Amino acid sequence: MKRSIVTGLGIAAALSLALAGCSSDADAESAPETTPSGPVTVTLAGWSLATTPEFQTLADAFHAANPDITVEAKEYDATNYDTQMTADLAAGTAPDIYVQKNLKNFFTYQNGAQLMDLSDVADTLDKSLSGLDAYEVEGATYAIPYRQDSWYLYYNRDLFDAAGMEYPDGSWTWDDYATNADEMTAALAAAGSPALGTYQHTWQSPVQGFALAQTPDADLLSGDFSYLAPYYESRIALQDSGAQASYGTATTNSLTYQAQFGTQKAAMMPMGSWYVATLIAQQASGDSETFNWGIAPAPQLDSSTVKNPVTFGDPTGLGINPAIDDDKAAAAKAFLAYVGSEDAALALAKIGITPAYASDVVTEAYFGLKGVPTDDLSRFAFSTHDTKPENPVSKYTTGIQNILNDAHSIIMSGSSTVEDALAEAESRAENEVLNQ
Amino acid sequence: MATTLEARRPGSRLKWRNTMLGWSFILPNFLGFAVLTLVPVIALFYIAFTNWNAFGTADWVGLANFQRMVGDKSFLVALSNTVYYTVFHIPLTLGLSLALALLLNRKMRGVAFFRTAAFFPYVTSIVAIAVVWNMLFSPESGPINQFLTMVGVSNPPGWTTSADWSMPAVILVGTWREMGYYMLLFLAGLQTIPPELYEAARVDGASAWQRFRNITVPCLRPTTFFITVMLTIGSFKVFDLILVMTNGGPGQSTLVLSQYIYTKGFVENQLGYASSVSIVLFLICISITVVQFLVNKRSEA
Repeated sequence: MKRSIVTGLGIAAALSLALAGCSSDADAESAPETTPSGPVTVTLAGWSLATTPEFQTLADAFHAANPDITVEAKEYDATNYDTQMTADLAAGTAPDIYVQKNLKNFFTYQNGAQLMDLSDVADTLDKSLSGLDAYEVEGATYAIPYRQDSWYLYYNRDLFDAAGMEYPDGSWTWDDYATNADEMTAALAAAGSPALGTYQHTWQSPVQGFALAQTPDADLLSGDFSYLAPYYESRIALQDSGAQASYGTATTNSLTYQAQFGTQKAAMMPMGSWYVATLIAQQASGDSETFNWGIAPAPQLDSSTVKNPVTFGDPTGLGINPAIDDDKAAAAKAFLAYVGSEDAALALAKIGITPAYASDVVTEAYFGLKGVPTDDLSRFAFSTHDTKPENPVSKYTTGIQNILNDAHSIIMSGSSTVEDALAEAESRAENEVLNQ
Repeated sequence: MATTLEARRPGSRLKWRNTMLGWSFILPNFLGFAVLTLVPVIALFYIAFTNWNAFGTADWVGLANFQRMVGDKSFLVALSNTVYYTVFHIPLTLGLSLALALLLNRKMRGVAFFRTAAFFPYVTSIVAIAVVWNMLFSPESGPINQFLTMVGVSNPPGWTTSADWSMPAVILVGTWREMGYYMLLFLAGLQTIPPELYEAARVDGASAWQRFRNITVPCLRPTTFFITVMLTIGSFKVFDLILVMTNGGPGQSTLVLSQYIYTKGFVENQLGYASSVSIVLFLICISITVVQFLVNKRSEA
């Protein structure tokens, strides 16, 4: 009995200590908030800070220009970012500024009143800032884009040379791409190389993103997915002819696109612009082999758009948590005005990020980076394109993309014909999403 | 009066003390259970009747979520896939783990090694299991299909990359993974059967099959019942294995209820609808368990 009393006392003591600890923490945190003037610290959500330097780069560059305002990055898990952010927002513990990782969840945050109206910040920014209009809902802007990724065609110059093939010239349609991939595979096999003509990663994006962006009148929210059919047929043909690893092989062996292109298993690969920085880093670290490569504009539906190639990619933006303290809101807005500026774009370009703000100076900064291919076509691919969002902002987008992801796996695995799978997806979209 | 009170006091105080003592032992666990399980479960029954989407207010929508479920083809696909998994997974795992237990319940060289080996899959990380089995199942270069081609199967199945074969593949891995654990439970059950029963049966001239039918099976009944209940619940809420092996695909061929709940709730932020699907899953699990208990009780009587 004595023992239980001692234990009970111990627990009570521990509890009171813990409670005291909590309350003193809370005091320490709220103290600077009440001070009216002086330096301000705003918090910024980011993910994998060690390998994703963009958040710290923006914070440091802004702090250098505004010594009174400190932006403190708060780390989140990259894969569970949106789940964790949703929980933190609902609990009221989210940072002051948080990243809109993709446009699918932007709708959820905006519609859930978790984003501050930033129209006044947007008014001060250059209207040509790529992706800014994606964050506009009913005339008001709710996030400021700082990076705008786009999909390119990466190609391995060494493998093209070994096969004796011409490099992409910037005029390719998807038919040209398929023909070249087939010829390339045959030529590489003849040259004794085990590499294939191209690699298409297992995601739905490399097929559906292009189809949606490039097909005139294609509309994700219409529930009519016939625009996807030609894109799937050409990819299935490439897979059947052996010019790219089959979907089954890629999924069951957990192939990564970094290894497929980086260790020269494929001569070409459609992929997003984020891979430029990754490839340079991996070639430096030895995770990728060293070879010459370049980027070309994404292949087009037909030759009418080669002058200003149509591609896709969602912007990445920053929004402000409406629960922010009033005295911090101005500082947070100043930071957001900065991330949409040319200065921020230069800082980002120097670490290999594709900024949302585009100008010749930014392009120069980007191509000044060691390891970036500097040929004319790569410069053209980087600086000239019409990038359309992969995810239009709507309450139906996530639901429809999930249905289309099912259609993607069933088509690419050969379990169903393109026609049947798309018809099934259309009926599901109508009965499960668009009627909600 | 006074004397009786005096007399009762020490007893009631002891009782009170014992109760408090009991509570204090349960408290740490119960606190965690209450905060992390009980409260969310109770909240679930409210949320299921709302259209809550993580932010803002949850509007009461009555039975709308359940009405939607009846017409939701994906829900029905998930439900039938879950039943498909359960119907094959339970008897397979039950049979194989019993067979393994019988095999490893005799005195032989290296029995400890084989018992441990059979238990290995259960303690291996599910992600590692999924990666390795997916490679084994690889349609073109996987060892399984290479073996099948070698022995003359001209058109080996596509396993996890085929809508028809993905479920059998997942069931196979699920069974392989869990049979070691249930083997252990069966082994424990087998050790409690008195050897005299077998000796007496042998003296009476009972064959091995007769001994199994009339001694082993009835003596194992409590164990078998427990394992069946655990397997049923486990099969209905199967989630991690599917998520890491096929992610529900290709198409919806391996979509199960737990994953559907996860997608609706945490990917599409329809927490109200996801909660109502959870309730259906809960009702299925509990009603089957109740039926099992009733059947067990009847056969015990």
